[in-house]
Amino acid sequence: MSAILQAHALGKRYGQRQALADCTLEIPPGHVVGLVGPNGAGKTTLLKIACGMLAPTTGRIEVLGEQPNGATAQLARVGYVAQDTPTYASLSVADHLKFGAKMNPGWDAKLAQARVEQLGLNPKQKAGKLSGGQRAQLALTVAVAKRPELLILDEPVASLDPLARRDFLRYLMESVAEHDTSVILSSHLVSDLERVCDYLVVLVSSRVQLAGETDDLLAQHHRIVCTRRQESDLPEGLQVISAEHTDRQSTFVVRSERALPAGDWSAEHLELEDLVLTYMERPVVHGAATAMQPTGEAR
Amino acid sequence: MIEFHLDARSGIPPYQQIVRQVRQALLLGLLTEGDKLPTVKEVVAKVAINPNTVSKAYRELEHLGLAAAKPGVGTFITRSLGHASLTEHGPLRQELRAWIDKARAAGLTEPGIEAMFQNTLRESAEEET
Amino acid sequence: MIWLTWRQFRAQALTVLVLLAAAAIVFLVTGLRMHHSYAADLAACAPLHACDGATPAARALGAQIYQLQRSYEPMFMLLQLLVIAVPALIGIFWGAPLIGRELETGTHQLAWNQTVTRTRWLAVKLAVVGVAAIATTAIFSWLLTWWAGPLDQLKGDRWAAMTFASRDIVPLGYAAFAFALGTTLGLLLRRTLPAMAITLAVFVAIQILVPALVRPHLLPSTTTTFPINQASTSQFHGFSGSQTEFHFDLPTPQGAWLTSQPPVQNSSGQVVRIEDYSGCFPGLDGGGQGDDPDLGQIGACLAKDNLHQTVTYHPASHYWPLQWMETGIFLVLAGALAGTCFWWIRRRQN
Repeated sequence: MSAILQAHALGKRYGQRQALADCTLEIPPGHVVGLVGPNGAGKTTLLKIACGMLAPTTGRIEVLGEQPNGATAQLARVGYVAQDTPTYASLSVADHLKFGAKMNPGWDAKLAQARVEQLGLNPKQKAGKLSGGQRAQLALTVAVAKRPELLILDEPVASLDPLARRDFLRYLMESVAEHDTSVILSSHLVSDLERVCDYLVVLVSSRVQLAGETDDLLAQHHRIVCTRRQESDLPEGLQVISAEHTDRQSTFVVRSERALPAGDWSAEHLELEDLVLTYMERPVVHGAATAMQPTGEAR
Repeated sequence: MIEFHLDARSGIPPYQQIVRQVRQALLLGLLTEGDKLPTVKEVVAKVAINPNTVSKAYRELEHLGLAAAKPGVGTFITRSLGHASLTEHGPLRQELRAWIDKARAAGLTEPGIEAMFQNTLRESAEEET
Repeated sequence: MIWLTWRQFRAQALTVLVLLAAAAIVFLVTGLRMHHSYAADLAACAPLHACDGATPAARALGAQIYQLQRSYEPMFMLLQLLVIAVPALIGIFWGAPLIGRELETGTHQLAWNQTVTRTRWLAVKLAVVGVAAIATTAIFSWLLTWWAGPLDQLKGDRWAAMTFASRDIVPLGYAAFAFALGTTLGLLLRRTLPAMAITLAVFVAIQILVPALVRPHLLPSTTTTFPINQASTSQFHGFSGSQTEFHFDLPTPQGAWLTSQPPVQNSSGQVVRIEDYSGCFPGLDGGGQGDDPDLGQIGACLAKDNLHQTVTYHPASHYWPLQWMETGIFLVLAGALAGTCFWWIRRRQN
């Protein structure tokens, strides 16, 4: 199957403000994709464009092979849960299930019912009276029960307590395992992403800084500590992501597709959180920053 | 049935932690040949991790010859790893004891000993992969 | 989608149903009683103006009917106000939150990602609640038009601003317009409260401006100029005046809507005063009214001064055409507003 999301030079502008710039992505299916970046980086904008809520100002995007134009065929294949997991406060849990059934021909009523029971939700209770975690679970149930091929979740666990967060992610993973759904979820909490995401997209200052399978990315990056030297002193084939120097010592974070050559340094892999932070802290690189680049091009 | 847990801080990739936990269970005799491993769905429902991670771990176990997948039925353990209980490794234990005494004599405190042990263990694990 | 619209609208619908039922009871109970009294009084004197006739009995009946009208006057004004308010309330409580509340709470993100297009979502909402709005207003308008029947005949003034706007079909046009306005404002502002406030303000402004500036010009009116001489003034019904002007009650067709009644002017178009011709108005100096003086004599006296008085009016026959036109105009405006909503929804700029 082709990519679940393909974007080419995607951009979105609001008046003077550039919310998203020059995004090029090709995300393969069958993954749980983590979209991470600081607040205001453009995560919500990208996700809204992907589900068809917003139209881009430049570039193009295809989701599941089609442009997200709001036609019913596309709407049936993509599920979306917005930030703060909105639900109808005056409608009960059972009403929400009925809502899903009426609005989606592909609704799986058994699945929805089973899930509500498993969660221990009272069907008659109004959604406005549920706790934050319960509301999030309800919103997720509604999105999952229409059996989409792709689920897009915008910071679904940001305002949940740790227990609710864990429950939500467990249910999400269970759905993914059962239905083979692809997921794109955004977060600014890397620790959550580490467990559930196997594909990572780092968005900083409206641009994609890094994209790839998590295992590959972790294998490709190293932290090198050595005596004080210039970037150009490093062997070829290493892309320098960040550099720190004291008067005696240099610390580089480098990326290389091949195995790291031997050298007079100590090298170790980074934790996912460190990796993301490194990319978030470096000055914004314009142009395709996701592909490999020879030494010295990073500014 | 075995239950897995994930230590996010250990620095060991999640799929490897699963492989090691299966291994450990085999070593301790908690799992024997013919036992069924939990399905991917069961694992992720208890531990919020990516299903691909579990699949990868199970494939690794197959690769190591410890388990085999029966399509439509599940993944089963294919061999046991010596029921060795810890008491059977007397000589190992004595060597360890001697080393601890040496470390203490050299001035290391208990936290220091533990740290050195964890570090070296981790290094060796990384090298193993 | 119809289920969803109904489910979200349910509480408001039930509230209005209860209010409508209560109002209907009030209308029916008081109305039947009033109609009965009126019919009884009327039976006692055949054509209406004969009740003002010469005999003491006729005059007594006339006074009784007048008493009837006066006793119901407060209720009359109140119920008229109610029926005028109904479209405004609909615009505020049904229109403004229809889309506005969803945008405000973010639930549109839930609705727009189900297998229903936005256009369909909007269309069903507008249609279901819009029809309810017009039906509710129609019932109120019908109840009032029936209830006020005798009083309207007695007062003989279907053209008063509050009356025209609360009878027959005009309220329906206002209901559609106020609903569409509330919905559009809720959509554009994305906040329910400001949308409510602005809808109310616009509605009030329209109720003030339309009768004065728009309604009179929807159809051509008739202007008649009466010269002031004995022949004409003996047809007049009276006169009144102040320090600065005076005018006669002109014999306009029955049931006409007088849209312009300037005072008596001379041949060069200047307004004249009683005291300019004090000789023709014995016993009055610069103020007063009365039909006791012989109007024919006053006219004879003023004839040589070439005075005239004009009046502009719509004949009674214009009533229904104007009702239809005004309703039509507001239905078209409502349609334009609804079109704006559809256009905005499709833009996907959020």
